[in-house]
Amino acid sequence: MKGNWNRIVKIDLSSGKSEDLSFPEDLWRSHIGGSGLGARIYNDLAGGLPEPLSPETPLLFLAGPLVGTSLPGSSRFSVCARSPLTGIWGEGTCGGNFGPALKMAGIDGLAIVGEAPALCYLLVEDGRVSIRPAADLEGRDCYETGDLLSERHAKARVACIGPAGEKLVKFANINNDKGDVIGRTGMGAVMGSKRLKAVVAKGSRKIEVADSGAFAELRSFLLGRIKESVPADSLRSMGTDSNMDLGMMIGDIPLRNWSLGENFELAASLGGPTMTERFLVRSQACLYCPIACKRVMRVAEGPYAMEEGPGPEYETCCAFGTGILNADAAALLKANELANRLGMDTISLGGVLAFAMDCFERGLIDEKEAAGLKLSFGNVEGVFTAMKLIARREGLGDLLAEGSRAAAKRIGRGAEELAVHVKGLELPFHDPHGFHGMGLAYMMSTRGACHLQHLVHPIEQGIVAFEGVGLAEDYEGRTSEGKAAMVKIAEDLGVPCNAMLLCEFVGWAFRPQDFASCLRVVTGFDFDLEEYLAAGARIWLRKRSLACLMGAGSDDDVLPPKIMRPYAEGIAAGSVPDQDLMRREYYALRGLAADGRPSREALEKAGGLEDMALRLHG
Amino acid sequence: MSIPFASAEWIAAYKDAINANPAYKTGAANWTYGVVALIVKASPPAFPDDTGIWLDLDRGVCRDARLVSPDEAKTAPFCITGDYTRWKQVVKKELDPIKGMMQGKLKLKGDLTIVVRAVKASQELVNSTASVDTEFAE
Repeated sequence: MKGNWNRIVKIDLSSGKSEDLSFPEDLWRSHIGGSGLGARIYNDLAGGLPEPLSPETPLLFLAGPLVGTSLPGSSRFSVCARSPLTGIWGEGTCGGNFGPALKMAGIDGLAIVGEAPALCYLLVEDGRVSIRPAADLEGRDCYETGDLLSERHAKARVACIGPAGEKLVKFANINNDKGDVIGRTGMGAVMGSKRLKAVVAKGSRKIEVADSGAFAELRSFLLGRIKESVPADSLRSMGTDSNMDLGMMIGDIPLRNWSLGENFELAASLGGPTMTERFLVRSQACLYCPIACKRVMRVAEGPYAMEEGPGPEYETCCAFGTGILNADAAALLKANELANRLGMDTISLGGVLAFAMDCFERGLIDEKEAAGLKLSFGNVEGVFTAMKLIARREGLGDLLAEGSRAAAKRIGRGAEELAVHVKGLELPFHDPHGFHGMGLAYMMSTRGACHLQHLVHPIEQGIVAFEGVGLAEDYEGRTSEGKAAMVKIAEDLGVPCNAMLLCEFVGWAFRPQDFASCLRVVTGFDFDLEEYLAAGARIWLRKRSLACLMGAGSDDDVLPPKIMRPYAEGIAAGSVPDQDLMRREYYALRGLAADGRPSREALEKAGGLEDMALRLHG
Repeated sequence: MSIPFASAEWIAAYKDAINANPAYKTGAANWTYGVVALIVKASPPAFPDDTGIWLDLDRGVCRDARLVSPDEAKTAPFCITGDYTRWKQVVKKELDPIKGMMQGKLKLKGDLTIVVRAVKASQELVNSTASVDTEFAE
């Protein structure tokens, strides 16, 4: 096997002891790497299902076979653990440069258990892993922490948490290179619970591939496809926010905590073209990426003046823009910077803030509870104050730091109707009113509402047309018919893409067989499209099984009330997903029993899931 | 009476249809970015030659529309190229032109930052073809 070192270092922060773990090649082949491999080894490492923030919970930092090989889009890494926000399987991935640094340091990943006696960081350098004191980093924000550790360890890459992670905010993130984050499911809080401030990686080892000739040929071919791709061009010129204007027209953009159907002026003021014209300094690429969708922006003057730094992605433009009815783009940039510095997932944070505003305007939170804070829609100053309170867990911030599901439960009096999440994970900002298939994808994602672990977004919106895998040529967004099959195929394509740590945006330019080709030329395993899709189904079933063992079931495969309430205006007016139809059809396609658990037959058919079959069915 | 697609007669009728479409007038009120040209790639024998369509658009009005050579079409600030069968799908509303461009079924040359802000206008530009009784050779 090439592409992987077959070496994961397990380190116990309580005892300081470490050991090397290796795994049979067939396990790498069947679960690929990244979160796929993570889900496979989690069970063995955890020795049960410890609570998310307990010392026994394993926290996995993982690369994948493609990482560091110079294939386009191969710069990502994954972090997995049981999520403190959802209580089920949690994971996130991000780009930047940390993933390749970890791999070039000579390991495929870290399995971190225990709890350090004092705040520390891990240094991974040329195959060695050491625990270093981090008392001087306590309370530092992510930008400061990254800068300090980069100065201390030349040419190293840093993944760190901010104050929110240290305070165990349930949606705390992990920050790499200031603008790249492991955002979702609160992996930063798991780091905080282990008193682990950062992981620093440094190395220069070359990643060998199985067939260098075929690798070079494939790389050249894929670069050509990316060059010709209009979505790639759009991302390059305007960033991930490029489609805000179009999104508003087709019913994809949520407004005012998912309660309005249309606002073209707001979309125009926050969309990629406007943001580019007003604030862009330059675009920036992750290692090996020909697209360069990242924005480096600056606000020259005014109350929200901001030095040159990472600009917001599409999701953040909704989180601190359309979702809370803020039309001030400069304030949005500043809010993005503050969230990055404090170390919080902007999707969940935006969802929590919109939820809190809804509660405030309905009298479910009063000014006294909010410590004089006016949390009304559009009040940007309230947003800045609330963000700091959440990160410090002070006052109302302590409640909101638990996420919208838990906060709604504590507030009661109907607040649950206003919390927009699936399984505790706040919805990303693609609207199921306009795209029913995305609603099903949120319902069935193995980590709660997720827009990234499948390729539903580009497929249902027609951004890509993958041929030869059973997808229709075109999909109507506002219908639930045929969406179960679409979502399953999109997951089987997207899950392995995620496991091998390939950037989805790069993958939009691929043909389906190209995903398998990447694995084949790098690892030497004779992957074809059929095996690739089978791996996707297998990994999905494994993560679903873990989620079920952690307490999820069919009752949790539901869309929030806000999504089931139709809008009065806009192109999606009157449209709500038929979640019963889609769930019924999807369960049949996936082989899920009525209680939501994968059936023994489905697990046996997928292969490589005997351990899960045993745990679920005895 | 049906008019052959992309003929001079069809283009003249298309211009009238655009100017008679109030939704286009509103949706494209801010369009000041110049000519949009379309290139229809040959598909013999039904459509024997590559053909260019020149649409001089300004603030919700089509000021001029004419048949041009593909080379001249390529000089326009915005040029969309597609096979005859793809354009047929667009006119019959079987293919959304924005999706078509994203998926590479139609090729766009021009500033994307302007195009994504003009999606309403481009949709109405396509909708305007509905009022032209179009004949497609098989």
